[in-house]
Amino acid sequence: MSNFKHQVLIVGSGAGGGMAAYTLAKAGHKVLMLEAGRDYDPKTESSMFKSNSEAPLMGTSTSDKNFGFYDATVDGGWQVPNEPYTTGKDSTFYWWRARMLGGRTNHWGRYSLRFSEHDFKGKTRDGLGADWPFEYKDLAPWYDKTEEIVGICGTNTGLDDMPPSSEGILQPPPTPRVPELLVAAAAKKHNIPVVPMHRAVLTRPKDDRAACFYATPCGHGCSIGAAFQTTTSLIPMAKATGNLKVITNAMVKSVATDDNGKVTGVTYVDKKSKQEHNLTARVVILAASACESARLLLNSKGKHHPNGLANSSGQVGRNLMDTTGAWLSGLVPALKGRPRYNEDGHTGNHLFIPWWGHKAHANGELDFPRGYHFEISSGFGQPGAGVSGNVQGYGTKAKQIVKEHYGAYVGFALRGEMLPNKHSYMEIDDKVTDQWGIPVAKFHFKWSEHELKQIEHGLKTAKQILETMGAEVGELPPAEKAISRGGEIIHEVGTTRMGSSPKDSVTNQWGQTWDCNNLFVMDAGVFASNPHKNCTLTIMTLAMRNSTWLAEQLDKGEI
Amino acid sequence: MSTINDKYMYRSGMSRRDSLKWLSALAVSSAAVASVGFSSDAYADKSTVGHWPDLKLKPITGKGYGTDPNLIIPPESPWPLTLTTEQLTLVAILSDIIVPREGDVPSATEVDVPAVINEWVSAPYSGQQRDRSTILHALAWIDDEATQRFNKIFAKLNTNEQIAIIDDIAYRTPTTPEEFQQIAKAFARFRNLVMAAFFCSPAGMKDIGYMGNVPIAGDYPGPDKPAQQHLDNILAELGLTEFAYKA
Repeated sequence: MSNFKHQVLIVGSGAGGGMAAYTLAKAGHKVLMLEAGRDYDPKTESSMFKSNSEAPLMGTSTSDKNFGFYDATVDGGWQVPNEPYTTGKDSTFYWWRARMLGGRTNHWGRYSLRFSEHDFKGKTRDGLGADWPFEYKDLAPWYDKTEEIVGICGTNTGLDDMPPSSEGILQPPPTPRVPELLVAAAAKKHNIPVVPMHRAVLTRPKDDRAACFYATPCGHGCSIGAAFQTTTSLIPMAKATGNLKVITNAMVKSVATDDNGKVTGVTYVDKKSKQEHNLTARVVILAASACESARLLLNSKGKHHPNGLANSSGQVGRNLMDTTGAWLSGLVPALKGRPRYNEDGHTGNHLFIPWWGHKAHANGELDFPRGYHFEISSGFGQPGAGVSGNVQGYGTKAKQIVKEHYGAYVGFALRGEMLPNKHSYMEIDDKVTDQWGIPVAKFHFKWSEHELKQIEHGLKTAKQILETMGAEVGELPPAEKAISRGGEIIHEVGTTRMGSSPKDSVTNQWGQTWDCNNLFVMDAGVFASNPHKNCTLTIMTLAMRNSTWLAEQLDKGEI
Repeated sequence: MSTINDKYMYRSGMSRRDSLKWLSALAVSSAAVASVGFSSDAYADKSTVGHWPDLKLKPITGKGYGTDPNLIIPPESPWPLTLTTEQLTLVAILSDIIVPREGDVPSATEVDVPAVINEWVSAPYSGQQRDRSTILHALAWIDDEATQRFNKIFAKLNTNEQIAIIDDIAYRTPTTPEEFQQIAKAFARFRNLVMAAFFCSPAGMKDIGYMGNVPIAGDYPGPDKPAQQHLDNILAELGLTEFAYKA
C-alpha cells in the first residue's frame, strides 16, 4: 500500500463504485476503494448446485438471511446487527443493506432495462417530479458501452418503452418457458405485449466469464461469472490494471473538508481494530448507496456547511423514492399436472410485460401519471418450504394434489414508478448512533394517490390476464393493502438528486456536487426520478459516463 | 403421558434400513395393541366439547446461524434440537400418515422428515418459534384426543383409530365442527412442513418431477415436445391459439 499513491477515493464497491473504479483505473487514475463489509469471492463462496434439503430450514428466509439461506448477501438484510435506523411517526420504511465487497450486485435480480426518453423528461410531460439534466440520447452511447461490459441478454423489441441497443450489443435471450408462453398469449389478447426480458446474464462467454449453464439461482451468486456482479468482473478487471486498491471492513464515518470547504478526504473506522483512520484524496466519490451516501453528507458538518456537506440546496436526503410493488397470483387449471421438463432456465424471467401505456398516457386515458411493468413468476422451481400450498387431507391423495399444483401457479409482480413527495425523505436521527458511533438515518415515507391509482390499474390488469388463462382470482385487495412497504423493493433513489440548478438539486449532470467540485456521488442517490425499470443498469451507465468525464477533468487539471 | 416401548421409538437420522425396520415394528405393535384395551365407551368422548392443551413452553434461547454462515458446507445441526423422543415418535407416525410409501417412492420417515421438523421447531427464529408453539400444541392435542377417545396415546392406537382422528382434523372447511377448527389449522401447518420436507428431499424432488439444478452445455433448450404439445392444446382450449407468442 505504501507506494500506491491514489488520487481518487471511492466509498462503496457495488454497481456505482465498481463501475467508477473500473472506468478511472482503465483511464490510468489511481483509485482507493473503501468497502464497509468484508472481502467476498463468488468463485469460492457461491453455493452452486446446492439443494434446499442441504440447508437449515429447507433454505427458507430467516432474520439472519432475509432472502433465504443460500442468498449471496453477507452480513446484510433489512437489519444489520448494531447498525439500526429509525422511522418517523406513522412511517414504515425498510432499508436493505449489504456489507460485503460488491454490495447488492452479488444478489440482485439482474433485470437490466434502459430508461427511455419518457423517463428522463417526466416533468416536461406531466408537470410532476423533476426532469433529469440531460436527455436519453445523451446517455444512449453510454448504455451501449455499459451493456457491452456487463453482458446483457435480450432483444431489441422496437417498443417505445424499450429503446434499442446498438447492433451486436445484446446477447441472445434464452427460449421462453410454458407458463410465460401462456401469459404471452393471454396478454396479447388484450393488446398487452410480452417480450424477452433484458438480464445481466451471459448467454455467450465474455472476458474470463463463462456463459450461463441454466442452473442454480442467480441470487446465490455466480461462481462462473455468467450472472453479473462487480466481484467477478469490474473489480478484478480494475485491480488487474494495477490502479485499484481496496480496503474492506472500512466503515466511512464522514467526509473531511478544508477551511475553504473543499473536500480533503474521509474518516473511516476499521471494523476489525475499531480504530479511526483519516485518508486524503484529490477527489472523493460517494457510491455507498443512495441513503448511505446521503447519511454521510448529512453527518459531515462544517463551518461552511452547518446542515451537512453539499447541502446548500437543502435537498440532501429529500426526494426519497422506492419502486412500487404489488403481487397477484392464481392457480391456472390448464397448467395442472403438465408435462415435466427442466424449467430452471437462467432462473429469472425469460419473458416479461413491459410498460405499454405511453400512448394511453399521451391521450389522457389513464388516471395515474407513471408506468409500471410486470415480472412473471411461474415454473417448476426447486421445491422449497412453501411447495405444498394449501392442500387439505393427507396421504396419497393430498400428495397427488400437491404434485398437480406444482408449476401450475402464475404470479404477477408489479414494479412501478413512484413520484417524489414531500412526506418521503430521510434525515439524521441525532438521538441514535450505530456501533461505530455514527448517527443513524431516520426515514419518513408515504405513498401518494399517484402510486395507489397505478397499483389499482395493475391489479385489474393482472386479474384480467389471469382470468384469460382460466384462473379464478376473486376479489382484489384495495391498493393501500396491496402496495409494498417503502424500501421493500430495494430501489431507493433520489436522496442526492442531480439537476440543472444548485437551487433544487445536489449535483450537476456529472454527479459532481454543486457545492464542492471535488466531491461526486455515483450511486442511485443522483436519480432525478425513479422509472419502473430497476436502477442498477442506469447506476452503472451514469457511473461510467460521469467517471469518464471526471478522468478528463483530472487529466486537464480542472479538479 | 405414558412412555412407549423402545421398539417403536423413532430416532432421528435413522438409515433407510433402520427406518424400514422401525416402520414394520410400528405396524406390528399397532396391530398388537389393536386387540387389547379397546373399549367402545371411548367413542363417547367424541362428543366432548373442544379441548386445547395448556402448555408452558420454554422459549428457545439458542443462536441462529448468523448473517455470514458457510454456504458451501451448511451447518448440519445449527442449534440444539428440542423434541422429546415421544414427540419425535408422534411426529414420525403423523409424517408417514401424511406422506406414506407409494410403490418405489419412500415415505416421509424414510427420507428423514422428522429430523427436518425437529430442526424447524427448535430454530430460534420468530417464524419457527410460532410454528413450534402451533406444532407442540397440535401434538399434545392429538395425544389428548387419542386418550379421550381410546384411553391410549396416539402412537399406541391401531391404524383405524389413528385415521379416525386424522380424518376429523385434516380438512379445514366452513363445515368443520367447531371443536376441530383450531386443531385443523394447526395440523395444516404441520402438514405443509411435512410435505415440504418430503418434496425437498432428493426422492421427493424426483417424485414431484423437478428436473432442474443440472448444468446445460450450450443454449437453454426450452420446452420439450410433450411440453410444447400440451401448451398448444391448452392454448386451443382457452381460445388463445391466434395469440400464440412469436419470437
